[in-house]
Amino acid sequence: MRKIKIMKNEITLQTRREFLRTTVLGSALSWTVPAFLANTLTALHTEAADSATQIVTGKDNTILVVLQMAGGNDGINTVVPYSNDYYHQARPRIGLSADKIIKVNDEIGFNGAMGGFKNLYDSGNLAVVQGVGYPNPNRSHFRSTEIWQTASDSDVIEKYGWLGRYFDNACAGADPTVGVTIGNQLPEAFFAKTPQGICFNNPQNYRFVSDAHPKPGETDMTEESYKKLNELNALEMSAPAPDGGPSMTLTTDENNSGGSISSLAAGMPMTGGRAVDFITRTALDAQQSSEEVRNIAARVQNQATYPGSQLGTSLKLVAKLIGGGLPTRVYYVSQGGYDTHTNQLGTQARLLQDLGDSMKAFVDDMKAQGNMQRVLVMTFSEFGRRVSDNANGGTDHGAAAPMFVVGNRVKAGLLGKYPSLAPQDLFQGDVKYNVDFRNVYAGILENWLKTKSAPVLGKQFEPMQLV
Amino acid sequence: MLKPLSNDDWHLESAAHLLNRAGFGGSPDEIQNLADLGHDQAISSLIDFEKIHDPWLNPDWANPDPARQAHIRDVNQTGTPDQKKELQKEQAQLQQLQMLELRGWWLQRMAHGPRPFQEKMTLFWHGHFATSVEKVRDAYYMWRQNELFRRLATDNWLRLLIEAGKDPAMLIWLDQAQSQKQHPNENFAREVMELFALGEGHYTERDITEGARALTGWSLDRLNQRYVYRPGLHDDGIKTFLGRTGNLDGDDVIAQIVAQPQAARFITAKLWNYFAGQPPTDELNDALAAVFRQNGNNFKPFLRVMFRSEEFYSDDIVRNEVKSPVQWLIGSVRMLECDLPPTLVGWGMLRQLGQDLFAPPNVKGWDGGITWITTNTLLTRYNDAESLVQGTLPALTANDFAQKPGGAGGERAMKVLQRVRMGGVNLDKILTPEERASKDSMVASLQHRLLQTMLNGDQEKALNDFLNSKEQLTDPDILTAIRLIMSTPEYQVT
Repeated sequence: MRKIKIMKNEITLQTRREFLRTTVLGSALSWTVPAFLANTLTALHTEAADSATQIVTGKDNTILVVLQMAGGNDGINTVVPYSNDYYHQARPRIGLSADKIIKVNDEIGFNGAMGGFKNLYDSGNLAVVQGVGYPNPNRSHFRSTEIWQTASDSDVIEKYGWLGRYFDNACAGADPTVGVTIGNQLPEAFFAKTPQGICFNNPQNYRFVSDAHPKPGETDMTEESYKKLNELNALEMSAPAPDGGPSMTLTTDENNSGGSISSLAAGMPMTGGRAVDFITRTALDAQQSSEEVRNIAARVQNQATYPGSQLGTSLKLVAKLIGGGLPTRVYYVSQGGYDTHTNQLGTQARLLQDLGDSMKAFVDDMKAQGNMQRVLVMTFSEFGRRVSDNANGGTDHGAAAPMFVVGNRVKAGLLGKYPSLAPQDLFQGDVKYNVDFRNVYAGILENWLKTKSAPVLGKQFEPMQLV
Repeated sequence: MLKPLSNDDWHLESAAHLLNRAGFGGSPDEIQNLADLGHDQAISSLIDFEKIHDPWLNPDWANPDPARQAHIRDVNQTGTPDQKKELQKEQAQLQQLQMLELRGWWLQRMAHGPRPFQEKMTLFWHGHFATSVEKVRDAYYMWRQNELFRRLATDNWLRLLIEAGKDPAMLIWLDQAQSQKQHPNENFAREVMELFALGEGHYTERDITEGARALTGWSLDRLNQRYVYRPGLHDDGIKTFLGRTGNLDGDDVIAQIVAQPQAARFITAKLWNYFAGQPPTDELNDALAAVFRQNGNNFKPFLRVMFRSEEFYSDDIVRNEVKSPVQWLIGSVRMLECDLPPTLVGWGMLRQLGQDLFAPPNVKGWDGGITWITTNTLLTRYNDAESLVQGTLPALTANDFAQKPGGAGGERAMKVLQRVRMGGVNLDKILTPEERASKDSMVASLQHRLLQTMLNGDQEKALNDFLNSKEQLTDPDILTAIRLIMSTPEYQVT
């Protein structure tokens, strides 16, 4: 049995060619190949096969930041039609008069708490997509969130998320950090055929926690042992090549923790492997990405001042990870609390203030880093709220609402048309949508993430021209 | 196909496999006892659970409460805004507490109840009918559905499907409660075919529309919190559903579905996948479906054949299934012979690991298999092992609860957590003095208990190096060694 010995990150041209000949292009990769190697192989495979697969370097690709405003933000008091009579008739309790808003033009203004947004608007970094929704809107938080996360029709239940399908379609073989969620749980938008993306609240928690407290200079035996238990068999693996060709043994040097951290979990055919092999590979990915994430978080300094809120803290961390060159295409952050059935004015103002200030800090940080060209932030909420306010000074679940898209290369300004508030134009008390959110997704997929949107969204939606 | 396993192949390893899959695993003694019974008796001891006395008490709120429901209705209809708000708050808190209790109640049954196989089946049906409290929003309904799955765990396919369809939680979950002849809601009609009984491609869109018409009249009595048939909502017209024409009703729809050969293929494939850890081949699925139909679409005799078959003990099945988070938690507790962590902590672990009981991610349930494993769920498993073994509070769980807005109660939950005492593992229970006498015998014993197999040579060396690095082997060191065995890829499969 012939063996090919490869040092990590030192795959020579000769061995690359050998791989190309013997395994990669010939047939499916066995899933026992460690991920860092598979990434390289996938890259080569991609160049050769001209597939939809994208190669992620962490240095020059575009990045999408998805920001979820959970709870159903009242779009009408966010982008306010302050001179519209219908608006004031429908909202005797919480309607905002001209002196309470930040004017954009003679008809529309931002909620008074959105000074941060107005700055972005004036500097040409903000697009407001008006009246975004979908046909047959659902008013359940759970279900409508699911519809936005999976980009499904409202009567169809989709198993995978729209970003998960993007990973499946375009990021096969990519680093596990291709999708990063700041939070405790992976959002449904990330659900994919081949699990991908990592999530954590605090980078310090994204690691193996040792019980040992070694003195300086001493080895932490618990952590050492964990690494060995999870590394040895991954590092010295023998797998028959699928085409009956030469078997290969893969070796890495232990000191090298940098470089590519990648996942074969992503998109490689999983034929012939045992479950434990898959887990072994994931364990290796976990070890490496955990170090990478914590190193970046410790090393990179923010260059803007963020609010101390959960959202501010999340975006602060995203900025660090971008600055540190994590090879991520999609970041996901969220802000909760928008379910304002009672006493909406104060609550929503506080949330929008936080949103605008956090976003402004993030943009300043990106500009200081020189990464603003690469970053696009998109907000969404599961629904807007009823046009009429309720007796408790709040609003109930509604339908269409605006989305915000922030970036250097956005078509800045008010996009689409403000939905009519005239009673005869409403459906069950809600505004009708003018833009299907999947047109927005399609625009972002095609023009920002540079991938075909139809395979991701299940059908062709006209890509909205946002960038 | 499905030939009985030869008696020569029934031994400790196969007994461990059966206990892991038809239950949640157990101690070496339990496995030995099962092996001693012989294969038929071993299977019977698990699946003929009706013979085992079950003294478990239901939660004391697990009854319909018409007076309470009437009060809620009255306040919502005639109350002041403040009264409504107050009631909403009260309801939300009550539901949170009851759901926490319900989760603990079920986890305890799985970990320490007398009928592990019945709970394993209940878990299967929960994943299959994947109903979430996030929409149902009522602990009593969730408990009631759970009890339905337990009661009919190995019963008849037609009976189960009808009762599951008329179950209040399901009536809410898939909107059947809102369906009426003027506007038939198609949600349940679609999913009962696509997800519960036939699979895509085995019905037409017209079957969905017609089925939804026939199902009208199935409704919910919200006051008495039970199913009710409302003739006024039912569409009495002629419908054609899966080839049958007439003034069909909901029971006819379900009967017509179960009469399809595909209904047997579908559910037997799903059961095989659940217990064996991978989908059956077409040939095997044919054989499984044939056994199921020969036995009148009853689950018990089918499962007996399955657990007795050679195929179930083949090399690519044994120790080749990723443990679900529930299997991981309950199995760990059973193998380590320790207590479950307090519910708040155990639930937090399951949420973090991706299997929030009573709240599956969507109507399709959990994907299972390798999708349980991501870089972060794997690290979380390794760290939760530390908590289970040492009896320390997982940092991540604390964060999870502190930061979930409105979820488990934020600050209140933190206060509870600070008082929480975790059990941890009692070494005297799981290691004899002889086993503790030498490192070799100890390492061998622990691997046998936790993996029912051995780690590879390099891993075993790493473990020995760890133990040898300690001058004197203390209890905490041995606990760390246990945690390290649980922090391997090998421990994540069963």
